Amino acid sequence: MLINEIQNIKSMHAPSRREFLQNNALGVGGIALAWLLQQETAQAKPATVSLGPQNFDMIPKRTHHHPTARAMISMFMHGGPSHMDLMDPKPELSKYSGTQFTGDIKYSFVNRASKQLLGSPWRFKKHGQSGTEISELLPRTAQIVDDICVVRSMHTGFNGHEVSIRYWHGGIPSVLGRPTLGSWLTYGLGSETQDLPAYMVLTDPGGHPVDGVNNWSNGWMPSLYQGTVLRPKEPRILNLQPPAHLKGALQRQNLAFLDQLNRRHAERFPGENDLEARIASFELAARMQTAATEALDISLESESTLRLYGIDQDDTKEYGTRCLIARRLVERGVRFVQLFLAGQPWDNHANIRETLPAACRRTDRPAAALVTDLKQRGLLDSTLVHWGGEIGRLPVTENHGAPEKCGRDHNGQGFSCWFAGGGIRGGLTFGETDPFGHSAVVDRVTPNDVQATVMHQFGLDHGRLSFPYNGREQVITDGRSARLVKGILA
Amino acid sequence: MSRIASIIAVILLSTLPVAAVESLTFEQHIRPLLKEHCFDCHGANAELEGGLDLRLRRLMLQGGTSGPAIEPGSSDSSLLFQRIRAGEMPPGEAKMPPDAVAVFEKWIASGAATARDEPDDIEPGIGISDEERAFWSFQPVKRPCELDYERADRARTPIDALLLDKMRPLGLDFSPDAIPSTLIRRAYFDLLGLPPSPNAVSDFVNDDSPSAYENLIDRLLASPAYGERWARHWLDVAGYADSEGATNQDAHRPWAYQYRDYVIRCLNNDIPLGQFIQEQLAGDEMLTPPFENLTPDQIDKLAATGFLRMAADGTGSGANDDASRNQTIADTMKIVSTSLLGLSVGCAQCHDHRYDPIPQKDYYQLRAIFEPSLDWKNWRTPSQRLVTLYADADRARAAEIEAEAQVIVAEKAKLQEQYISDALEEELARHPEDLREELRVAYRTSKSERTERQKTLLKEFPSVNISPGILYQYNQQRADELKGYDQRIGEVRQRIPPENFLRVLSEPPDSQPLTHLFHRGDFKQPQDSVKPAGLTITAAIDERLTIAEDDETLASTGRRLAYARWLTNGRHPLLSRVLVNRIWMHHFGRGIVGTPGDFGVLGQRPTHPKLLDWLADELVAQRWNLKRIHKRIMMSTVYRQSSETDGTSERDMAKLAMDGSNELYWKWPLQRLDAEVIRDRFLATTGSMQDQMFGPAVPIKADDAGQVVVDNQSRRSVYVQVKRTQPVAVLRVFDAPVMEVNCDRRQPSTDAAQSLLLMNSDFILEQAQRFAARLNSEVTEPIAPPEEFDPAPLNVNSVWQYGYGSLAKDESHLANFDPFPYWTGKAWQGGPTLPSPELEWAILNTHGGHPSTHNAVIRRWVAPRDGAVHVTGNLSHPSENGNGVRASVVARSPDVAGRWIAFHDEIATEAGPIEVKAGDPIDFVVDNYGNTNSDSFSWPVTVVWTGPDGQTRQWESVAGFHGPLGNAELIPARIFHAWQLAYGRQPDNREMLAALQFLAEQIRTSLGQGGAVDARKQALTNLCQSLLSSNECLYVD
Repeated sequence: MLINEIQNIKSMHAPSRREFLQNNALGVGGIALAWLLQQETAQAKPATVSLGPQNFDMIPKRTHHHPTARAMISMFMHGGPSHMDLMDPKPELSKYSGTQFTGDIKYSFVNRASKQLLGSPWRFKKHGQSGTEISELLPRTAQIVDDICVVRSMHTGFNGHEVSIRYWHGGIPSVLGRPTLGSWLTYGLGSETQDLPAYMVLTDPGGHPVDGVNNWSNGWMPSLYQGTVLRPKEPRILNLQPPAHLKGALQRQNLAFLDQLNRRHAERFPGENDLEARIASFELAARMQTAATEALDISLESESTLRLYGIDQDDTKEYGTRCLIARRLVERGVRFVQLFLAGQPWDNHANIRETLPAACRRTDRPAAALVTDLKQRGLLDSTLVHWGGEIGRLPVTENHGAPEKCGRDHNGQGFSCWFAGGGIRGGLTFGETDPFGHSAVVDRVTPNDVQATVMHQFGLDHGRLSFPYNGREQVITDGRSARLVKGILA
Repeated sequence: MSRIASIIAVILLSTLPVAAVESLTFEQHIRPLLKEHCFDCHGANAELEGGLDLRLRRLMLQGGTSGPAIEPGSSDSSLLFQRIRAGEMPPGEAKMPPDAVAVFEKWIASGAATARDEPDDIEPGIGISDEERAFWSFQPVKRPCELDYERADRARTPIDALLLDKMRPLGLDFSPDAIPSTLIRRAYFDLLGLPPSPNAVSDFVNDDSPSAYENLIDRLLASPAYGERWARHWLDVAGYADSEGATNQDAHRPWAYQYRDYVIRCLNNDIPLGQFIQEQLAGDEMLTPPFENLTPDQIDKLAATGFLRMAADGTGSGANDDASRNQTIADTMKIVSTSLLGLSVGCAQCHDHRYDPIPQKDYYQLRAIFEPSLDWKNWRTPSQRLVTLYADADRARAAEIEAEAQVIVAEKAKLQEQYISDALEEELARHPEDLREELRVAYRTSKSERTERQKTLLKEFPSVNISPGILYQYNQQRADELKGYDQRIGEVRQRIPPENFLRVLSEPPDSQPLTHLFHRGDFKQPQDSVKPAGLTITAAIDERLTIAEDDETLASTGRRLAYARWLTNGRHPLLSRVLVNRIWMHHFGRGIVGTPGDFGVLGQRPTHPKLLDWLADELVAQRWNLKRIHKRIMMSTVYRQSSETDGTSERDMAKLAMDGSNELYWKWPLQRLDAEVIRDRFLATTGSMQDQMFGPAVPIKADDAGQVVVDNQSRRSVYVQVKRTQPVAVLRVFDAPVMEVNCDRRQPSTDAAQSLLLMNSDFILEQAQRFAARLNSEVTEPIAPPEEFDPAPLNVNSVWQYGYGSLAKDESHLANFDPFPYWTGKAWQGGPTLPSPELEWAILNTHGGHPSTHNAVIRRWVAPRDGAVHVTGNLSHPSENGNGVRASVVARSPDVAGRWIAFHDEIATEAGPIEVKAGDPIDFVVDNYGNTNSDSFSWPVTVVWTGPDGQTRQWESVAGFHGPLGNAELIPARIFHAWQLAYGRQPDNREMLAALQFLAEQIRTSLGQGGAVDARKQALTNLCQSLLSSNECLYVD
């Protein structure tokens, strides 16, 4: 049903010829409609006859209700950041550190399992006006606590990486091949820029995250809704630039000639909107060659901005650059940007005393800078920022012989992540885990709840935004229970 | 109201919901709502929440622990309605939508009517109501009375008559027949997925016989390419993949291709669809195990069951747990049901289907048919299910060859023993004489029997311990000789026939597991066991298929065979409809039922129910012969009509206004080609395609930029490896399915990633180059350009020329320069074969070449303008033999600007600045330096030109290397040929002129930029790219 609804587009600007073609009654082409209008008295209400293949596009769509967010940046922290060492202080855990945990616990690595509680080796302190407690490992995040909402009661119920990752992105634990959150948002909302892809993914120079391209899959939706991968090195967009010998005038002439061929062809088929759409898509591609190149060029940023993101420092240069590019993209109207890390740097099974600080050093400053920068540019109100992984870690020791080599095993029962902007209340902590940080016990939030809440902020009802596939109107949560987490909204 | 507006009003009225004008009844309007929202707790199970059963009106009146649920005539005082309106019921997030609540209210208010008297008894469970039974797709197929189509205008078949029947009332009729060149293109892409050759087009266009079109269809249906194209359609619904999926490993399925090849063979051999389906469901049960010494027919029957092995299966690649096993079974059920039944039975896995009349028990009864072969308690991993194609004859042959090898092995062993013995004696001779015998005996005593003394001795004199592995340390020559034997043994064993396998679904002996209904679909909560059976709804009340748990006459249980035979008996309400709907969809781009995998309540209704039934009946009447159905459809006017409309014709505009989406088929629907067809079209157009059929999947790889590309750009896309986690970029971007489970309908999209791929990807650039090369080599006769065209800009020459000659006696300048007479497609030389009679081994290729006895080879650069040039390069002579080559840069003045000799090394060559006038040559001359033996060289050079004003330009010999340019006169003929190859038609005058102007503009620009690449070659390549990327190549009309 929504498909029909969103076809009746509320344009954010004067309708283009292409929009006009796609909006009119009965799916009739523009020329035919013009003819029809000349015949006066035609007062037919739009009644979309949906037959055969549907056309899909990125033109802005009407929302279900008034949106507070128009863009989202998600910093996905693969591996399971150790919440009790980062943003969920557990004095009881510290107090009983070294003693045996008495509750039930599920391990992924049974061979190295123990029940010995491991208090955080790092100190927590209250920060900001809100007094949110943050670990010393995240000194920059500590400076933005009044702008972020830390959710301490995340719950997937599964300890495995993939099973939870797929839950976060696709809506069902462990099921592969479904469209991801970015696909749903761009499908439901279209894009505010017609010069750049609506859904962009920034991958790590070290390689793909666990679960690879499935992290930004369009599943069974058209490829239009797949995350466009910005590669970690040049060329950041595949096929974006012509080979050297075609650059400039030669390719412009090629495209002009192609346009001439296509227009002449389309003349024979009035009313075939797809032909017009393809002509337009070549125009977009040509614009992207310039627009994307410009969007990715951070050399235009000021010294102080570069410093803010830590681009002047070895530890933070790479991730900082990507965070800055993310800001530049949403500034230019991109709907959904997600940043990934190679492998799973937060999967601190062993040597947590070294590996966890390393992951923090790389990401803390850039992540905090992103919020600060968005705020100072007035973009934070409309940009929802997410920081978090698919799971958290256990409060007990994972044994690796020597105590200094120890780490923590997976935990999907309780963990933390944070949100900022886009109508999320800053300076807030939400939900609680038990005194040891093992399981979320107050105000549990599932990935489905997050999806429902994010979509709500974008003006969408997750249960109503549906896509027809295999004879069913599919929704992101696949009918699983999902609640709007009102408590974190401003 | 104008005539048009009134017609529109008719269309709109006809789509209004019927409910608005009818009185509400329990069966028709209320029960479906209760089924969707309430029955789970109030009727589906024996335990009733609050004691309330909502399955009948009288049970609602009877009510539960809180009293009657409804009070007919008063919604407000009806408890059930109060709870619903307050949002208290159903509990949880999913609420009844407002329009449903309104219907409910109205029904109670108007007296809560039923359509008929309610039964006194009711079976447990939700059951199936008469209304549900009456749903269109569950009715027997009924062939409509054939309309008198002879008299109807332009109708050629009953299909046309049935279509006209719906068009006529709106004043619509078919469009004129498409012109022959369009028709042949359409038929080729539809049946073969390939473009017609220019000859095929002209033969057809010039064939005036009345049977020309029919003959064309017969010809195409007989082509092997037909099976390759239509197999792809079936592989989509079968969920074909060359990888196992399910886990991150996404393990390779090396033998899946046997199933793909089976499908292609069946389609080409016109195997009736009934048999095709039977074999896929139960091919193994048609044979008697053990599956050994298989005949081709038996191989087909077993390969066919690969259909039931297409679901993702990670049990052999890291996920062999109960959940994964049950997932594979559920996916297999989904593939079977969507492909053959057009129903998504999956919903009934957890509870009675909310919308379709499929009780949960039905689902598990259907599953029971497959359980003996897919037994999650006694699971076999993919590799455990393989059946070898090795026959006794192969084994005998292998043994024979092995015996042959053993002869050599024995020979070698004997010799080895001798050599070791000889080496031992030689070695002993170096040892004290009195110890020799003792050492010899110690050496020859087997390890376990050696005395302590012997062990000590051998330790003391380690050099006596001669083994085959270290014989070389004693006698290298003899060790090498023995190595030669190993090679011979290996060569013999190479001839052992390779062992291939089939991916088979079969039942282990005596496999009769019980199938249990799983509470909420959870295998950890098994309930009662169920017996195998077909879905209740797919047969009349008394005719439901029940299947014996074991067929005593077969080695297996026979459950699948019984089901397959019943399914294809011609009376199943869904199978034939589902199949013809897909056939229609592939011909016309959309189904008569728009949801080919869902003929249930949530699916779309047929736009032409009578036509669907006529086709379904015809399929059975034609004994499931697919090719006859193709021909029936393609001979019809609906297929042959034009897709074009005239934007200036009032009549056409009226048609568009009335039925813009062409629901009624008054024109042929223009279609975007499928991803595979786009790629195949490119390969065929550019002359890259091989017609090799069948075999293992063509490998894929990730290119430098991380895109997945096909390793071998010459095979048809149906043979390209389908790896679930690594979709091939060019296919995926054009919407080839990602096989999560299967794909019942593709969704074509239009986006910038497609455009960027067509503008800049290595794939398109390479195809454009191949296309241009093909034009250059195939076009030899000029045609006249349009009169209004000025050919001057086309008449440019390359800066590069390729020839042979010699230096003058004093070696200060060139004595002569003759262009090479022959171009191989890759290199310039004296004739088609080397050595050529006159020029012997003289050759020039991209990077270098080879001089001959009497002639140097010369790469010539001609200055386009006055200025100074500076040349650099690397001369390399890789061979260790011969005496090397001598290279000279020869110019007008000074005559020789540089001279170098390379012999088994690489040296930098640099010369200049050299003053040039426009037209002056700079010659890069390589001669044999007195001896022509082993004179292959490479000498890529760069020429940097500086003009009088200091501007510079650069030419690279490698990038600029080219074959014959021909003369510009051939360009119009090349354009003409390009149009024929790319579009299957000739360009008209306006197009020819536009193309010529484009080329002229490109050449002008290239020259202005001083591009490194030959301007004319590049311009033609760019023209080719535009043609391939254009809508006329991506769509078929």
